[in-house]
Amino acid sequence: MQRITIDPITRLEGHGKIEIFLDDAGNVANTYFQIPELRGFERFCVGRPVEELPLLTNRICGVCPEAHHMAAAKATDAVYHVEVPRTGKMLRELLYSAFYVTDHTTHFYALAGPDFVMGPDAPVAERNILGVIHKVGLEIGGKVIQCRKYGHTVVEMIGGRKVHPCTSIPGGLTKGITEEQRKEIEEMGKWAIDFALFSLKLFNDIVLGNKAYVDLILGDVYTHQTYYMGTVDEKNHVNFYDGKVRVVDPDGKELVKYAPKDYAENIAEHVEPWTYLKFPYLKKVGWKGFVDGKDSGVYCATPLSRLNAADGMATPRAQEEYEKFYKTLGGKPVHQRLATHWARLIELLYAAERWVELATDPEITSSNYHAIPTEKPTEGVGIVEAPRGTLTHHYWTDERGVVTKVNLIVGTTNNYAPISMSINKAARNLIKQGTVVTEPLLNMVEMAFRIYDPCFGCATHSLPGQMPLEVTIRNAAGEPIKVLKQFVD
Amino acid sequence: MKTLVIGLGNPILGDDGVGWKVAEEVEKRLAGGGWQMADGNTPSAISHQLSATSHQPSAIEVDCLSLGGLSLMERLTGYERVILVDSMFTGKKPIGSVITFALDSLPDLTAGHSASAHDTSLRNALNVGRSMNLPLPTDDQVQVVAIEAQNVYDFSQELTPAVAAALPQAVDAVLDLLRTTV
Repeated sequence: MQRITIDPITRLEGHGKIEIFLDDAGNVANTYFQIPELRGFERFCVGRPVEELPLLTNRICGVCPEAHHMAAAKATDAVYHVEVPRTGKMLRELLYSAFYVTDHTTHFYALAGPDFVMGPDAPVAERNILGVIHKVGLEIGGKVIQCRKYGHTVVEMIGGRKVHPCTSIPGGLTKGITEEQRKEIEEMGKWAIDFALFSLKLFNDIVLGNKAYVDLILGDVYTHQTYYMGTVDEKNHVNFYDGKVRVVDPDGKELVKYAPKDYAENIAEHVEPWTYLKFPYLKKVGWKGFVDGKDSGVYCATPLSRLNAADGMATPRAQEEYEKFYKTLGGKPVHQRLATHWARLIELLYAAERWVELATDPEITSSNYHAIPTEKPTEGVGIVEAPRGTLTHHYWTDERGVVTKVNLIVGTTNNYAPISMSINKAARNLIKQGTVVTEPLLNMVEMAFRIYDPCFGCATHSLPGQMPLEVTIRNAAGEPIKVLKQFVD
Repeated sequence: MKTLVIGLGNPILGDDGVGWKVAEEVEKRLAGGGWQMADGNTPSAISHQLSATSHQPSAIEVDCLSLGGLSLMERLTGYERVILVDSMFTGKKPIGSVITFALDSLPDLTAGHSASAHDTSLRNALNVGRSMNLPLPTDDQVQVVAIEAQNVYDFSQELTPAVAAALPQAVDAVLDLLRTTV
């Protein structure tokens, strides 16, 4: 195979671009997956009061503003060395749980659902959320819309605004909730638990009840043995809002459990010449390339990773599903990446249960939701689990609290190496000796990255508004022999 | 006719914020008075995202949002007519070009696949909403005013000069649409 260099001019921006290089025999020699990156956020933040960052950072991404708001809020707490009172923490986590329910629901029904409910080989025109609704029943669509509505309502009640919350400040929140609001939130949460159970049953009936799908999940195509990362509480149970970051090796053994402030001692970033985005890896293990195994510092931070990195779930029904998950899939950790969709539904149930737990805590309506910072601001790190991976915000300020430096590691960045590896493996398995590439094959490659729910949203904001995924297949001489696009334009 | 004008985009991402700036100017012009709709009514109330929780039954509302797909569809519920103002990044038109079209004149490019990794296209989302019997405008009643952008990858609160220069034309395009019944 000839040596391949990708000229910077081919660094496409605004595209999820996949390049597949074949060898002389027509087999896959290599693949490159390029994610666009938004630039200059650090520069944009420098010189602003740090308490503005929870508002600014929720504009980084159109998909998970709530996650950025929370990571930023926790980082500003740390900058001011202030401990948020229990009610403040619970209110933030309650908002966050409702957001998780909305986000995971959307992903399953709009994105993963079509792959499984309709099937990877279904006609293009049916493989979307509308197809799912028509196949499974109109009432499903109504439930999805209702679930989103409830989630948005809770975010607005606590966060002051839908989608882009604005109430978190250093030391807590600017407002609490009334008993009347609490009751409403509790009722909506109970509904969300039923909906999560319903979604798991649907998955059970449609996916687990279909041998072809189970074989697809358990097959080698979407399997990788890497390290797994996730935030856990003091009992090593999954937590989205607070705790320590735990990393387990491919055998499930703990490698490290670190406090947010120690992230830089544990994570480093590898640079490749063909992409602007960096590849984070585990410092203690080292970067060994895009390879599986214990000696490779590649890690994954997804719903599946969070389950693998924890010892269980903190709520009873989610714990039952957690146990069933590992029993069905043959033990822990689970390396089959397609199981991430199932893991996401278990997290959906956990988020709904946690929503009700927090809404029924006697202190949730207390007015003790904010502590006034008294110490001089310096620097601080805030970590939350975004739906699509561990999210780290690190801010430095001067003594007035004016930002001097910002560093972020966002959910998708964690998974850049694993996504690239999954696409590579899917392509290798599906393209052999120059096999004619067909529509299902394109979708199978797409499925490889959809598992990770990667954040392209922020880069595809302008019209025409869709993510123009493009796959270019090149021969051994590097000449393009086929270009596949996600849509026909 | 209950009408909603939405400036779409990210207000801190350079030219992507142009939709917000146009909508804000439209809001000022409507509030300035002396302005009538095609049906002879005078717009009575304007709402903005911060106060959008208590919608007044008004002829025209203006909002600024950073949403797409299902979330945007949910916001359109209850309106008969919607005008979306957004940046456009084709790389083929001169920077600052303003074009107007109805949503149904665009092919639904994402009917089969996902529009983004997280959501679906607005047209597909509208179809989902309609199959749930949500009161949504028809595709021909969702009009788009789009402005060709130059910088949508660098964080900034400023528009590039050619895009800023197109603001008056884009505002007029929205007001012209509001004067016309489709």
